[in-house]
Amino acid sequence: MTDSTRTDNPAERLGQVWRNPPGLGALSVVSHSSLGLRFMVTGAFFFLVGGLLAMLIRTQLALPAQTILSAEVYNQFFTMHGTVMMFLFAIPTLEGMAIYLIPKMIGARDLVFPRITSLGYYCYLFGGLIILSSLFLGIAPDSGWFMYTPLSSQQFSPGPGSDFWLVGITFVEISAMAAGIELTVSILRARAPGMSLRHMPLFAWYILATALMIVFGFPPLILASILLELERAAGMPFFDVAGGGDPILWQHLFWLFGHPEVYIIFLPAAGIVSTLIPVFARRPLVGYRWVVLSIITTGFISFGLWVHHMFTVGIPQLAQAFFSMASMVVAVPTAIQTFAWLATLWTGRVTWNLPMLWILGFLIVFVAGGLTGVMLALVPFNWQVHDTHFVVAHLHYVLVGGMFFPLIAGLYYWLPHLSGRMPSERLGKPGFWLTFIGFNATFLLMHLTGLLGMPRRVYTYEAGVGWDWLNLLSSVGSFIMAAGIALIILDVALHFRFGRKAPRNPWQADTLEWATDTPAAPYNFISLPDVQTRHPLWDHPDLPESMAAGKHGLAQANHGRRETYGSDAITGRIRDVIHLPGNSWLPLFASLCLAVVCISLLVRLYPVALLGVLGAAVFLLRWGWENGAHPKAAPVCADEPSQPPLHSRTCDGPGRWGMVVTLLANGTLYLCLLFGWFYLWTASPHWSAPQVSPVSLTVMVLAGLLLTGVVATYYRIVHRLTAGDDAGLGPRLWGLTALGAAHWVVLLYATLSAPLAVTEQSHDAMLLVMLMYLLFHGLVATILTALQAWRVRLGWVNRALPYEPVVLRPFWGYTLGIYWLSVVVFLLVPLTWGGAA
Amino acid sequence: MMRGDHPIHLVTGLTLWFAWFLAIYATLSVGCAVAPPPVATGALTWINAAIVLMTVAMVLLLGTLALRCWRGAPQAEEGPRPSRFLARVSAAAYLVAAIAALVVGLPTMALPPCT
Repeated sequence: MTDSTRTDNPAERLGQVWRNPPGLGALSVVSHSSLGLRFMVTGAFFFLVGGLLAMLIRTQLALPAQTILSAEVYNQFFTMHGTVMMFLFAIPTLEGMAIYLIPKMIGARDLVFPRITSLGYYCYLFGGLIILSSLFLGIAPDSGWFMYTPLSSQQFSPGPGSDFWLVGITFVEISAMAAGIELTVSILRARAPGMSLRHMPLFAWYILATALMIVFGFPPLILASILLELERAAGMPFFDVAGGGDPILWQHLFWLFGHPEVYIIFLPAAGIVSTLIPVFARRPLVGYRWVVLSIITTGFISFGLWVHHMFTVGIPQLAQAFFSMASMVVAVPTAIQTFAWLATLWTGRVTWNLPMLWILGFLIVFVAGGLTGVMLALVPFNWQVHDTHFVVAHLHYVLVGGMFFPLIAGLYYWLPHLSGRMPSERLGKPGFWLTFIGFNATFLLMHLTGLLGMPRRVYTYEAGVGWDWLNLLSSVGSFIMAAGIALIILDVALHFRFGRKAPRNPWQADTLEWATDTPAAPYNFISLPDVQTRHPLWDHPDLPESMAAGKHGLAQANHGRRETYGSDAITGRIRDVIHLPGNSWLPLFASLCLAVVCISLLVRLYPVALLGVLGAAVFLLRWGWENGAHPKAAPVCADEPSQPPLHSRTCDGPGRWGMVVTLLANGTLYLCLLFGWFYLWTASPHWSAPQVSPVSLTVMVLAGLLLTGVVATYYRIVHRLTAGDDAGLGPRLWGLTALGAAHWVVLLYATLSAPLAVTEQSHDAMLLVMLMYLLFHGLVATILTALQAWRVRLGWVNRALPYEPVVLRPFWGYTLGIYWLSVVVFLLVPLTWGGAA
Repeated sequence: MMRGDHPIHLVTGLTLWFAWFLAIYATLSVGCAVAPPPVATGALTWINAAIVLMTVAMVLLLGTLALRCWRGAPQAEEGPRPSRFLARVSAAAYLVAAIAALVVGLPTMALPPCT
C-alpha cells in the first residue's frame, strides 16, 4: 500500500486493508463473511437438489406398483437424497452460519485461520460437485447414505458409485475438519477483551461444542472411507470376511461418526434457538449454567450411542443395554435445554413474529422426534421397527425439526444482517404453515406406515397391504411442504428488492453481531470493545455507535495489517494482537489440485493423482511459507506493537492451538485404526496373524531410535530458543532435517522389505496402512523442519521470532508417540496372540 | 484442596465417563471372545463382576471429584466470578458423569454378558 492511498479515517483505512477484490479476484477472498455466505448459498443449492430427489421418491411411492422410477434409479436417488442432505446441506450450511456469525458475536474481525476457511469452502464445493456429477452420469452410489459393506464393496457394487461417495465425501470432510479446527481456536483465542467463558454468548458455547465434536467425530468416517476405498481399489480385505476382515467394522466406524453427527447438526440449531428466544422473550435465557452443562454433556454422551444403530447385528444383550441406557441418558440434557427455553418464554414478554413461529414449529416437531428417539432406544421396540418407515419418520422429525426449523428461524432473524432489509410476514407466514402442515402430513403418517411393516429403501409395494392411503397422504404432504419451501425462497428473494430498510439492531438483540453495519463491512467492527457482560447491547445500548466512532481498541490500520485481538481462553484478557493473512489464491489452487487427485482416483489414473498430491503439497507449503515475518505477512518493522505483541512474536499464538487441535483429530483417526486392528483380531472369523511379523522389528527399532534422537534434540533446541538462545539454530535444524530424513529412509526400507500379503490378509493390509501413516508423519515433520532451517537463514525465525518452531514441536512429539505405540501394538502385541488364529 | 476452577475440569468428568464406557464395552466384547462364561451362570460371571467393579470405582471417583471441585470453588470474596463459574459447572459435569456411569452400568446386575 503506498502512502498516497493512506487516510486518517479509520473506517476508510480499514476498508482498504480488508478490501474484497471484485470480479475474478473474488475467488481469492478469505473474509469469513463472504465465505460463510458462500457456504450457505452453496448449501441451499444442494438442499434444492436433495429436495428434488425427495419429491421424486415420494412421487414413486405415492401409489403402489408404480414404475416411474426403476429400482436401480430409486436406489441411487434415496442414497443421494440422504448423502446430499446430510453431507452437502446440513453440516456445511450450519458451518457457514457459524463461520459468518462467530467472529461477529465474539467481537473479532475474522476467524483466526482465514485461508483455511477458503480451503474448506473450495473442498466442499468441489467435493460436492464431484458427488453430484455421479447422479447426472447415472452412476451415483446406491448402497444407502451409510454405505454398509458388503453391499457397497466391490463384489456387490462393482460400478464407480461407491467410489464417488467415498472419495467425494472424504474431500468434503476436509472442509468440515477445517471448520471444526478454526472455529475451536477462534472461539477460545480471539474473543473480545474481557469476554471470559462465563460471558460468552450461548451460541458460541454451542458452536465450540459442535466444532470439537467435528474434530473427534469425523476421523472415524475418514478412516473408514480410506479403508473401504483401499479395499475396492487395491483389494485390501478390511471388510471382507474371507480375507480376515469384517463388514461390521464398517458399521462401527461409520456410526462412531454417524451418531455424533446427529448432534453436530442439532447443537448449532439449538444455538440458534437459545439466541432467538431471549431476544423475543425480552429477557436473558433461564439457566445459562444449566444450558452450558447440557451442551457439554450432550457433546460427550453422544459419542457413547453409536451401537444403537446396530441393535440387530447380533451383539450381546448386555452390550445393547449399555447403549440403550446411554441413548436414554442423552435425552436428559436435551430436555434441560427444552425446559430452559420454555421457562424463558413463560417468564418473558414474548413477541410472536416470523422467527418465533419457526421456533414454535421446532419445539413441537423436535420434541416429538425426541420422544420417538427414546422409543427407539428401547431394544425390543427397536428390533420391531428396525429398517421400517418408522425410523425414516423419526429421523426426519429429529433432523428437520432439530435443524431445518431453527435454521429458517435463524435465516429470518439474521436476514436483515445480510441484506439490510426486513423479511416480509405476508409471504413468510403462509410459507411456515405450508411447511409445518406438509411436514407433519408426510412424516407423522409415516410412523404408522412403518408400524404397519413397510420397510425402508423399497422402490415400490403391492396394493392392499394397508400402506396405500398412508403413502398417498405422505406424498401429498410432501408436495405441500415443497410449496411452503418455494414460498420461503420467493419471500427471501423478494425481500432483497422490496424489504423494508432495517434499522440498526432491528430486533433489539443483545449480542455483538448487531453492532456491525448491515450488511457488515469486511472488517466487522471499526474498533474492538471490552466486553464484560453476556448481553453487551442490552447493557450498553450506545456500544455500536462508540465502536463505529473508533473509541475502542485496534481502530488504526495504517500499518496495513489485518488485525484482531488474541485473548486468554478462560478470562478473555488480551494476550496478543493476531495478524491475519490477506486474500490469497493458494487455497483455491490447493483445493483444485486435491480435486484432480479425487477425479484421478475415480478414473484410476494414479500417476495423475500423484501429480495432484505433489501440486497440493507445493501450494500448501507455499501457504505456510507466507507466515510470520514473511514480507507478505508481518515483516519486522520498527513501530510494531509490543504491548500486546503481534502473535507471531510470541510462543503461544493461535497456530500452536490449531496444531494441537489438529493433532487431537489426527490422534482420533489413529485410535480408530487401533480399534480396527483390535476389532478384527477379536471379531473377524478368519483373522490370522503370522508366527513372525513380516515387518522387521530390528529395523523398526533402529528407525525409532533415530526418530527419538531427532525429537529429543528438537525439543531441546526449541526450549533454548524460547529461553532467548538462538545460537547455532540454523545448523542444528539442518542437522535434524538430515537425521529425520535418515529415519524416514530406514522406515521406508522396513516397509518395502516387508513381504506383506496385503490383498490376502487384513492383518498385512492393516500393517501397510500403519506404515504409510508413520511414513507420512515422518516425511511431513522432516520437510517442515527443513523449511524452518531455511527461514532461520532468511531471518524470519530467531529468538525474537520463536513462534514457528514452537508450533511445529507438538507435531514431532506426536510423530514419536504414534511411532512407538505402533511398534508395540502392531508388532509386539501380536507376538502374544500365538500366531495364526 | 483441589482447585476447582481449572478449565480442564469442564471436560475431565465426561472424558472419564467415555473412557469407562469404552472400557466396559471392550471388557465385555473381548471377554466374550476370549473366555466366554457358561450361559447357565446368567449374570453371575467374571465379566459382570469386572464391569460392576469398574462401574463402582468410576462412580466413586467421579462423585469424589464432583465434591472436591465444588468445595474447591473460590468463595465470593476470594476469587473472580469466572473461576466460580468454571468450578460450579465442572462439579456438575462430574456429577452428571457419575450418574451416567451408574445408569449405564446398571443392567450389568441383571443381564448375562455374552448372549
